[in-house]
Amino acid sequence: MAYVATRGGERAIEQAERMYRAQTGRITPSRVKEIGAALPALVDRVMGEASLYAPDLAALALAQSGGDLYEALLLLRAWRTTQPRLQVAEPVAADEGFTHRRISAAFKDIPGGQILGPTLDYAHRLLATQVLEGEAYKPAAVTPAATPAPARHPSLAAWQVAQGLVEPPMADPVDRDAIPDLTREPLLFPAKRAHTLQSLARADTGGTLALGYSAMRGYGTAHPTVNELRLSEVEVRVRHPRGVTFSAGRVKTSQAEVVTTKGKDRLRLGFAATLGWNEVKVISAATLDLNSPGAPKNSPVNEEFFLYHTEPVESSGFCIHFKLPHYVTFQSSLDALRGAQAKKEAPTPAKTEETA
Amino acid sequence: MPTLTADPQLPEPDAAEARDNATFHAVLQALSRPGTVHGLPGAGACPVAQALVDRECRVWTDDRHLAEVLAMTGAAMVAPELADHLFLSLASAEAMDRLLRVRTGSRLYPDQGATVVAPARISQGPALDLAGPGIAGAARLCLGGLHADIWRVRARLNRYPQGIEMLFHDGAALVALPRSTTVTEV
Amino acid sequence: MTLASLTRPWRAFSYGFLDASAKREMRRKMIKAVAVPGCQMPYASREVPIARGWGTGGLQVTLTLVNPKSVVKVIDQGADDSVNAASIRRFLTRVSGAGATNDTLAASLIQSRHRIPEEKLRADQILILQVPNPEPLRPVEPNMSAARQMHADADYGRLWLTLYEQIVRSGRVMQGASYPSMVNGRHVMSPSPIPRWDVPKLHMADHLTILSAGREKRIFAVPPHTRVEPLVFDDVPYRVEDHAGLTCARSGLTGYFMNEIPQDGGGSAHEVSDSELGVKAIRRAEGEDPEIGATWYVDGEMQR
Repeated sequence: MAYVATRGGERAIEQAERMYRAQTGRITPSRVKEIGAALPALVDRVMGEASLYAPDLAALALAQSGGDLYEALLLLRAWRTTQPRLQVAEPVAADEGFTHRRISAAFKDIPGGQILGPTLDYAHRLLATQVLEGEAYKPAAVTPAATPAPARHPSLAAWQVAQGLVEPPMADPVDRDAIPDLTREPLLFPAKRAHTLQSLARADTGGTLALGYSAMRGYGTAHPTVNELRLSEVEVRVRHPRGVTFSAGRVKTSQAEVVTTKGKDRLRLGFAATLGWNEVKVISAATLDLNSPGAPKNSPVNEEFFLYHTEPVESSGFCIHFKLPHYVTFQSSLDALRGAQAKKEAPTPAKTEETA
Repeated sequence: MPTLTADPQLPEPDAAEARDNATFHAVLQALSRPGTVHGLPGAGACPVAQALVDRECRVWTDDRHLAEVLAMTGAAMVAPELADHLFLSLASAEAMDRLLRVRTGSRLYPDQGATVVAPARISQGPALDLAGPGIAGAARLCLGGLHADIWRVRARLNRYPQGIEMLFHDGAALVALPRSTTVTEV
Repeated sequence: MTLASLTRPWRAFSYGFLDASAKREMRRKMIKAVAVPGCQMPYASREVPIARGWGTGGLQVTLTLVNPKSVVKVIDQGADDSVNAASIRRFLTRVSGAGATNDTLAASLIQSRHRIPEEKLRADQILILQVPNPEPLRPVEPNMSAARQMHADADYGRLWLTLYEQIVRSGRVMQGASYPSMVNGRHVMSPSPIPRWDVPKLHMADHLTILSAGREKRIFAVPPHTRVEPLVFDDVPYRVEDHAGLTCARSGLTGYFMNEIPQDGGGSAHEVSDSELGVKAIRRAEGEDPEIGATWYVDGEMQR
């Protein structure tokens, strides 16, 4: 009798991967193109969580993973690892982007106006079953407004600051080239402001919603009012080695500002932004941000708690790692259990540690 | 679908990667076995700087030639008390004053203690008895070309787990003293 | 300085997958980890092409150390042919051109999940342990900031208390794998989750061990000839798993850490957990002469 040679494991994993890939078959450029065109919301969500703005790569990752979001994300994050950091782009102020949508729930009307922009908020969620019967669904064309909305809109918080309603955000004295980068440094607590915002920007949409929702339901102290929700496109302005600053292109961004009246004498702000258009995520994340100052340790709105637990690659990876064999650690615990049984003193064994 | 077919041939490190890899193996072994001598792929502090330092680092040096090499890495040049890596001679009294100011980290973050890289004459000069992790029993090291106060200064800096790592190069030879090593002048 | 001197031709992937900057950060952190044995050093931890929790921390260390002359051995639960070990080995050799081996004696880098091989490691070998949870204080303090402060203060009272409570409740320490151990008399570490059987192999060893948690972004090390002492009370000695008397049903080996294999109709058989040691014993029984190195345990007794 001999041991199974090493090849056994290798062949097994290769065939298992083939079985999975057989479900999706050939991946062609046209499939990737179609995914990009048909699923912009999904592409945006994946780009935000990957912190990599590359619609084609995101569509490819979705094609390659068969739509498994966490797999797509890992593909993009791992690809990102291999890329050098060439430049730090110019900072962009909230009101600088080309604004597509910008609403406030805090006031009936706001300077610059409420701009609904593209949304399904008021659509009736009826499945277009006729498509399955062979009839294409063709959305009606947009009728342009008589006067186009301006491309730029002032920030509502700026108006509130001017009115003395809001604590003005503290100016961060950090140098442009020295902005802490979460992908190059570990997250430590209390977290640097840049790390908190970066971490929320790349957080899991579902995880952010779950914890943000818990805060909204009362596990946080501050009830959010959406001060401003903004979808825009912003220029990525970088410096040419010759010294000229130029735009390398535009990226879609979402920003949410939520406020609570539960400040001492002024409104308190919570903020989040991400790459791509993803409203659920930025509202949830801003709510977490709003609730985090002074939150008790180990509550869902404690910064360490929500930043660690909404990291999508880490949480999903750890979850699926429990499929790996754990028989050595299990054996070790079993040995302790049997030892205790043999002593016949303790019918209820003590809580053993996480044998991950 | 294969996802990593970009490089079908067996990958080969380029010259920089091969050099940095060899340097780091020497550094790692030297720190793991304080007092033992290891070979660098090139002479002086240059290979050590190239293997360890980049734009995430803050550095200080008193060596003009090395300053150019460090500038290429993108590291920020800062005062000695702010640097995470220092490349300097430790032969003068002035250098001792400088050394006393370097970062030793905190008990919360001992990793913020600096790495100090200095020329020395290995296997010459005063004898030192070494003890601590990486050393089976005791070891003796002779190290010359350093100011007489160096070990008193080091002892003042090292409040374990706070402290600094010292790498000494002599041509292409390297020895290291991590903060965990107890140094006794013989 | 010219622009050209700062650039390189484009490549899809760097040698060893990680880019030069990621490797430099790993090097800087490994230096600090070795300098303060057992102390968890935070690092950025890049995403790599395997999932978090599947050995990404160990993989980043190995990718930093590997070169074409390296010979890597990868094991999971002691076995070279475990599926995830096979996957990591395939990735490592693919991106580095390094050789691969199952033989502990032939390896220069050994990446492992949950075990240390039974054959003694030498000074020229580096053991890289994958770590899911680097924090020994997690069971008493889940908040990482608070736990960090406890390490800073060498405040391990609550850890001692849980061990004491286990003895009171169960008559023995109930810690399975990952037994909290004092390193160099200062920092308590969680020795990945290797079984208690393997912890003494880290104490005053000839080899360097690097422990790396990719998901939790912490790296720590046990240099050679460094004290690693499991937390025990003077009157309750440290106990390894009761495997000394078990015999491997496949190889006939006795006195090593075993896997328990439940049998139809009740009862258990055992097989040696270090699969390659078992293979060598079988080959020897079949008349071949594979080299079997000195083992840490002889007849189930740890040798000092």
